[in-house]
Amino acid sequence: MPTVNITIDGKKIQAELGQTVLQAARAAGIHIPVLCDHPALPPEGACRICLVEIEKQRALQPACTFPVTEGLVVETHSQRVMAARKFTLELLISDHPLDCMTCDATGDCLLQDLAYEYGVAGDRFKGKQHHYPITDPNPFIQVDRNKCILCRRCVRACQYINGVEAISVFYRGFNAYIGFGADGNMQDSPCEFCGSCVAVCPTAALWPKMSIGKGRPWQVKKVDTICSYCGVGCKLTLHVKDNEIIQVEGAWDGPANRGWTCVKGRFGYDYVHHPDRVKKPKVRRYLLEGKKKSRKGNAWEWVETDWDTALDITARRMLEVRKEAGASSLGVLASAKCLNEENYLMNKFARQVIGTNNIDHCARLCHSSTVAGLAISFGSGAMSNSIEDVTGQAQAFFVIGSNTTEQHPVIGMRIRQAVRQRGAALIVADPRRIDLCDFATLHLQHKPGTDIALLNGLMYIIIEKGWADEKFIAERTEGFEEFKQTIQQYPPERVSQITGVPVEQLYQAAEILGTAKPMAALWAMGITQHTTGVHNVMSLANLQMLTGNMGIPGGGVNPLRGQNNVQGACDMGGLPNVYPAYQPVASEEARKKFEAAWGTPLSPEPGRTVTELIPDILKGKTKALYILGEDPVMSDPDTNHVRECLEKIDFLVLQELFPSETEPYADVFLPGVSFAEKTGTFTNTERRVQMVRQAIQPPGEARPDWEIIRDLAVRMLAERSLNPDAPYAGWDYASTSDIMDEINALAPSYAGITHERLEKGESLQWPCPSTDHPGTPILHTKGFTRGKGKFMSIDHVPPAELPDPEYPMVLSTGRVLYHWHGGQMSRRAKGLLEIYPQALIEISHEDAEKLGLNGTKRVRVSSRRGSIEAEAMVTDRVPPGMVYANFHFPEASANELTIAALDPLAKIPEYKVCAVRVESLK
Amino acid sequence: MTVLDNPEQLNDLRLSVLEHLNNRRANQAVVLIGMGTCGIAAGASEVAEAMRKELAQRNLNVKVIGVGCIGMCVKEPLVDIQLPGRPRVTYANVKTDMVPHLVEEHLVNGQIVKKLALAQMVEDGIQPEQELDTYQNLPFYRKQLRIAMRNCGMINPEDILEYIAADGYQGLAKALTSMEPDDVIEEMKDSGLRGRGGAGFLTGVKWEFCRRARGTPKYVICNADEGDPGAFMDRSILEGDPHAVIEGMTIAGYAIGARDGYIYCRAEYPLAIQRLEKAICQAHEYGLLGENILGTGFSFDLHLKEGAGAFVCGEETALIASIEGKRGEPRPRPPFPAVSGLWGKPSNVNNVKSYSLTPQIILNGADWFSKIGTEKSTGTAVFALTGKIKNTGLIEVPMGITLREIIYDVGGGMPRNKRFKAVQTGGPLGGCLPESALDTPVDFDSLTQAGATMGSGGMIVVDQDTCMVEFARYFLTFASAESCGKCVPCRIGGQRLLEVLTRIAEGKGRPEDLNEIEYISTQMQQASLCALGQLTPGPVMASLRFFREEYEAHIRDHFCQAGVCKGMFQYEIDEVKCPGCGLCLKACTSNAIIGEKKQPHVINQVNCIQCGACYEVCNLGAIHISPRVVPLVEVEEAVD
Repeated sequence: MPTVNITIDGKKIQAELGQTVLQAARAAGIHIPVLCDHPALPPEGACRICLVEIEKQRALQPACTFPVTEGLVVETHSQRVMAARKFTLELLISDHPLDCMTCDATGDCLLQDLAYEYGVAGDRFKGKQHHYPITDPNPFIQVDRNKCILCRRCVRACQYINGVEAISVFYRGFNAYIGFGADGNMQDSPCEFCGSCVAVCPTAALWPKMSIGKGRPWQVKKVDTICSYCGVGCKLTLHVKDNEIIQVEGAWDGPANRGWTCVKGRFGYDYVHHPDRVKKPKVRRYLLEGKKKSRKGNAWEWVETDWDTALDITARRMLEVRKEAGASSLGVLASAKCLNEENYLMNKFARQVIGTNNIDHCARLCHSSTVAGLAISFGSGAMSNSIEDVTGQAQAFFVIGSNTTEQHPVIGMRIRQAVRQRGAALIVADPRRIDLCDFATLHLQHKPGTDIALLNGLMYIIIEKGWADEKFIAERTEGFEEFKQTIQQYPPERVSQITGVPVEQLYQAAEILGTAKPMAALWAMGITQHTTGVHNVMSLANLQMLTGNMGIPGGGVNPLRGQNNVQGACDMGGLPNVYPAYQPVASEEARKKFEAAWGTPLSPEPGRTVTELIPDILKGKTKALYILGEDPVMSDPDTNHVRECLEKIDFLVLQELFPSETEPYADVFLPGVSFAEKTGTFTNTERRVQMVRQAIQPPGEARPDWEIIRDLAVRMLAERSLNPDAPYAGWDYASTSDIMDEINALAPSYAGITHERLEKGESLQWPCPSTDHPGTPILHTKGFTRGKGKFMSIDHVPPAELPDPEYPMVLSTGRVLYHWHGGQMSRRAKGLLEIYPQALIEISHEDAEKLGLNGTKRVRVSSRRGSIEAEAMVTDRVPPGMVYANFHFPEASANELTIAALDPLAKIPEYKVCAVRVESLK
Repeated sequence: MTVLDNPEQLNDLRLSVLEHLNNRRANQAVVLIGMGTCGIAAGASEVAEAMRKELAQRNLNVKVIGVGCIGMCVKEPLVDIQLPGRPRVTYANVKTDMVPHLVEEHLVNGQIVKKLALAQMVEDGIQPEQELDTYQNLPFYRKQLRIAMRNCGMINPEDILEYIAADGYQGLAKALTSMEPDDVIEEMKDSGLRGRGGAGFLTGVKWEFCRRARGTPKYVICNADEGDPGAFMDRSILEGDPHAVIEGMTIAGYAIGARDGYIYCRAEYPLAIQRLEKAICQAHEYGLLGENILGTGFSFDLHLKEGAGAFVCGEETALIASIEGKRGEPRPRPPFPAVSGLWGKPSNVNNVKSYSLTPQIILNGADWFSKIGTEKSTGTAVFALTGKIKNTGLIEVPMGITLREIIYDVGGGMPRNKRFKAVQTGGPLGGCLPESALDTPVDFDSLTQAGATMGSGGMIVVDQDTCMVEFARYFLTFASAESCGKCVPCRIGGQRLLEVLTRIAEGKGRPEDLNEIEYISTQMQQASLCALGQLTPGPVMASLRFFREEYEAHIRDHFCQAGVCKGMFQYEIDEVKCPGCGLCLKACTSNAIIGEKKQPHVINQVNCIQCGACYEVCNLGAIHISPRVVPLVEVEEAVD
């Protein structure tokens, strides 16, 4: 960047051409006050507080917009400047309530700070003041226009950061004010309550309602940690007072979020303090009384007990089952919500303590097909690039089967920013007209379950038009010729017939995908949750190799992981076929390594998946399960079947925060703790390992999950003899840092990721093979893990269950912005529940009319497996013939309907397609 | 009609239209009716209708043409009648019931109706009528020089052929065929034309900035968001001669290297918009807009964008934001629109008048133009002359003419022989000048030096019956209501300043208020984002400078000598002057005047509601304004 010489306050400075005077001054450590300016937002030049005197300029100029030029001479605190600033403050304060004594922003208010700095007390002008009512009824954000200084930071945040443009200025002059939508309530506007406006508001005009009156800025302890919702891995700062989280802010240095959050991250934290939290261990009475299991009478009632009793009973019963039916009759479910360290312990518990590879977790239900598919194509299965380079550098985005703005809102936000701020192209392929379509260059609305045909069709055109990256294909891949043969079977006309996407749209999309570079492919459950999930993923791998978009910034394959630590739970060996860091259990070398480390022989047989373990209860193959932080009744397909299975299990241990929908089937309940009550690490969707820090003490007797697992393991190992020379045979961990040391030693991709480095502020993405390695932001830059990338020849196969006269519609399922997973947390966040209080069935206007949904909006949706009743949401988001339901509400969960048809390789269920019938309820 | 493929064809067309028009004039009587908004408002449509009906009834072969405003708005509706071979005679204030008489006498009998005729136009080769003043010799017209408005009222604005006959598009043809873009810019710079929007920046230099700026495409924008109260210069030009603006913008497009232009016109000007649309359409038909203009390879298109009624959109960056579909708000400059304007691209924004002057400058040369006016303010200035003046209307005068000449010669002075008090130039953001400044030459620099501004052409004259505090308050009310609210000094400062003025006008002023006015005004000028905020205090500052004693009288004596601020004066009858005619007693609506016939009358101050009816009707000056002695409260109640 060329530089220019300027003088500020007599100080000679070199500034970069393109900088503003304010930026140059900041870089030189010269203070210029601001109100409307915010480093994360484009400059506005509105407030006039940053006015400076510039030589040869008649009028005072705003430092925030005035560009530096050679020889510029600036005075930042001349008499003229000071007088103008003082005047502006006098004016602002003349229409501002002087209630700093009770104002929540006191101590954290830019206006207050400036009034102090410039000695403006508020008695200069006595004129008209605004008295706006404070009435916006939304649950999250208090709108107090009386405190608004119209800096428009919120307007810009909404426009440039989240991109929804819910906020604007209404009216003119003295009567101008900030309003929402078409000048209504926030809730009636396009607002998504990401709270970016609150984050940038310099006063208390926009303030989190949940924090009002809870504490002063100087009274709180601030703890940096990672969000407990989706897999984006937003860094948050918790404000804690009296062992209560009173506010959450996005951390500006968060690599994944750069300070921004979504509604769940910022306002969905109160589940932590919900009275439903289980505070003491509890066991069924029959266990306490040493009787046979019975679900009848008071034998099945919960009895609160102490930890020793609960753990003793649990250890005894599990050992009994193992003795009776063998180790493979037990299984454990790790947790995508828990720490890496805890998942590692679950893996060790299953393999070392029980002696089985029967460990799995909900990654099975979301990205097992990604992990399997990418492992075949490239040799390893994770997001290849980083959020920063993808959203910052991609010239085109191909978002397929990802409702990004609702499921990974901060990534969705950053895609919108890329589209809006730098004009990146965006192609959305989705059977639903999701919100992101509003920003899309093109929306390919293909039929559910036709992703392979669509992708093959696009690749046909890319090859036909000569847009394939031949150099990349020649140098870095194999199997292209065979692949090309397959692709020849997918001319646009045929593809259009299968997918329902018009031929010209296929050409338009192929041109963008084939010519814009770098182009990033992003996907989520719309790709993975199919019986063809693995093949879908491999097709995307084909596309990215064909266009040469692997291993470069702004490109890559980018599966978006759904839960805060689902990546970590996989990395830590929470899968039936691999030890930590994907070392296969079937590999003798790997097994020997872990046998030596843990001091005991290990099972060479891959274990069973969650989608096998639970149905196998009925077959008598699964006798006992130890479930950590999962809720299969809500999350697994075909709920009725799941319930039937769990009723038949011999022994079920549930370690959880709340009495979930699975809790009625548990024999023992061990109360674990939330993310805010323990210290350790999460790994986000981009393979970034980040520190989670304890902010508050757990409620009651609830204990950090790693301690519970440890104490249970110690009890179960009490009578076992392990090889005394094995370095990691023992369980004497005093902290999660101790556990991480063991992970460093045994998981090569985590070898260099220590708590110490993370606490020092390093941000590390695996693979990080040594403590001096900086981590790996982009995978496959030189070679693929397996050497050459492998083109796979994939053919279109229709979904397992298609509509028929009896069940004439297609059901697709998923999450909504305001809830998460089985809803155990988000339904206990008051505001989230208020905004989205019940299950809604999305149905098209056409179908609604056919069903006669006039006035009455309740519907019954039935499949061959069950039926639910809920309110219909008539919308153009779904095409005719399709309904969409979520699985957040037990009273009407989509999984009552879904089919347990599995991908043959990944065993992932086809949540995205099944046949249903919809009836209107009177 | 055919698309004109080269300048020769344009010239041929010009000659053939001229011939056609001359033939018509030689053989057919013509009636021209002023059909600008002003004419229509005064009843020109009805007059035209009556005229057509009358002509049809009598089966007369007479051509009726609607033309734009010729400028004499006070005399509307204006009807001009021209018989073959005879001068064009103007009739003023024509009512429908006068039409049959005019037709009978003038068109049928060939007799000019002298008692209704205002003047005749002098034309080459036509013998003038006896005993009828010439239009060119009217005091209103004598000191005018019409360049920007040369066609207004003279041609049919809805017919491109009439424009072409009047040398239309010749400037464009000359630029495209014999000049490089840089030559055009040099010519404009040499002409000394300064932006007629008010800031007075050299137009050629502005074009040059835009031409030199990096980035494509570039845009030409015409600011037709004329929002000053009492200003209608741009409207009249757009209504009366839209092609001049189109031609000027096309030349500018050629000079700076633009392919597209936007005319941002306020939606309150439906007629201007309609005529512009028609004109753009016709220019397209003749190949004078669009692809490959006149076969020269240069292409240029124009788009119309209607404003939504925000005064601030006259500020160029706000105007640009509004075209982009955003809230019309200014943004700080730099970057200037010449570098980063519409959609972030280099853009040139000029006023309607600047563009309408351009074709003439190119056609006649910089020398011709720069010899008109003064050294530093060349050419002519267009003013909308309004207020307490006899000849309200639209005038175009050479720069350098004095205010006195405009007001007393062109404008004809004050009606009812009232005393001149002040003249406001530069619109609601300009400033007023007192009698002592009447000999100030009207040019950019002299007006600024005197304490007012040139502005875009509003000129409001006020007489002794105007209170300068209230006058300033009026403009301030307007300006602060029109503040966009973006920057603090303008948004809140304007309100606070208004509160001080209101306080003074209500008799609640405090001695320190004059300092307060100066403080707020100075800081607003210093700190506001755009010209709107910086100039909002203008009228207040100017009136305080020249009429400080009025402010002081309001504060100190609670006396409004103009008799405007309610409750701060009283009407009194001079018993020496009052003959007891009873006119005032009849006019009084509140039984406040008592008196026997032929005896001096008296006003009962308790009953008087200060409506001013008596003051208006008294032709003898027997009613005068004095400081109030009766308490204010009752008056306020009565007024409410």
